[in-house]
Amino acid sequence: MTPKNVLNYSYYPGCSLHASAIEFDASTRGLFKTLRIGLHEVPDWLCCGATPAHNVDELLSLSLCAKNLELSGKVEGDLAVACAACFSRLKTAQHKLAENGEKRRQVEQAIDAPVQLGKPVKHLLEIVARDFGLERLAAAVRKPLAGLKVACYYGCLLTRPPEVSELDDSEAPTIMERVIAAAGAETVAWSHRMECCGANFTLSRPGVVIKLSGDILASAKAAGADCLMVACPLCHGNLDIRQQEIEEASGERYNLPVFYVTQLLGLACGVAAGKLGFESMIVSPAGLLKEKQLL
Amino acid sequence: MKNTKMHLSTRTMNLDFVRKVEALSGSSVRRCFQCGKCSAGCPMRSFMEHPPNRIVRLLQLGQYERVLAGRSIWYCASCETCSTRCPNKVDLAAIMDALRKCSWDAKGPSKESYVQLANRLFIDNIRSYGRQYEMRLGAVFNIKSGQFLKDLMLGPKLLSKGKLKVFQQKNRNIAEVEKIFSRIEEMRRKGEAP
Repeated sequence: MTPKNVLNYSYYPGCSLHASAIEFDASTRGLFKTLRIGLHEVPDWLCCGATPAHNVDELLSLSLCAKNLELSGKVEGDLAVACAACFSRLKTAQHKLAENGEKRRQVEQAIDAPVQLGKPVKHLLEIVARDFGLERLAAAVRKPLAGLKVACYYGCLLTRPPEVSELDDSEAPTIMERVIAAAGAETVAWSHRMECCGANFTLSRPGVVIKLSGDILASAKAAGADCLMVACPLCHGNLDIRQQEIEEASGERYNLPVFYVTQLLGLACGVAAGKLGFESMIVSPAGLLKEKQLL
Repeated sequence: MKNTKMHLSTRTMNLDFVRKVEALSGSSVRRCFQCGKCSAGCPMRSFMEHPPNRIVRLLQLGQYERVLAGRSIWYCASCETCSTRCPNKVDLAAIMDALRKCSWDAKGPSKESYVQLANRLFIDNIRSYGRQYEMRLGAVFNIKSGQFLKDLMLGPKLLSKGKLKVFQQKNRNIAEVEKIFSRIEEMRRKGEAP
């Protein structure tokens, strides 16, 4: 008999987690299963619209998110979101629709249903750090990440704007550092924790990403980090997939593996390495993890 | 229009446009006292011809043509740093959204057609598939922008890592997505939505 879950959530993976960020999805499911936190995927969820929708059509963006909130009502538990961008869009929709009656009426007309704002939307970090708790997390650690120096990278949308995100301080957040420290890792102090990586310009203007993400990698390297840790598929894509291009453009060699927070926590909590998607990373972490005797 | 002289008069100032932007964004433009904190923290300022605080100043002066003609609004990354840090609670990120919507609706020529093309394809994908289809997004962008070889080396790399899905699974709610798009279009035709 499988042990009973200690917590249960409905789960909105978002589009990337089914494609370019499959390792984020795999490691989230692996970690949560080990911690006995139930994740129940919202049936037939839709794209949240991400940046392109709200950039030119706020009503469309709010309507797509409202539809997803309605769909999530079919599954019990607070809504767990992995992708920082989806998290930001869903919370922004809740925030704006709660305070603006006119927008709410327009959205209700667009989705032809009442707007449902009752379900708390939570990022995975929040679930691990607050609902599950850091003490319980520390107790679940089987293989402490001793000696691994991690640069925690927040990017933009996890904490900004603070009245929407409600995750942590918007200028000096510590939630990622606290979570990974509970797993035994060291964290480095560095300057670019919250600087933008270039976001979705990766498609239209990759030069922007080469510059901004290059600055982030240089800062992490200068602070002595062995690797970066992120919670956003777009940040991951820019820092991991484009790292080789960044190295070619700058003439610097970074070789910094970029982990999702759930990959490192999963490793620490004893999830089998094969279930954490390390082989999907472009900058291979194998050498680093072997050197630190974590693989 | 970057370096041309600006003549302020009731003839060159369009304050109706400012009111429209304020209504769309839900943010005041007039509250800004030009401290420059938004531009100081903006990661994209070096790619813009008008930094964020100057965009607001131009709006205050009713100079919307200068704002819409430039590429600055399309080089905003929506990172929310400006809105978060503004001491006067000007929601600059929302103002940028409103400006992009105005430019998008006007369908005029833009200096930043690549960014607009990427947005357009992204939204088309949602309408067609209900979810994002990353491989199609990249491929169609390259074809339509004429950059056939852009990121050519990334494709095989991502495929071998299982990061590119060649086929997109259709969403069972796809009919509902189409209804959302068409209802919004209908509301706009009737003037019931911005």
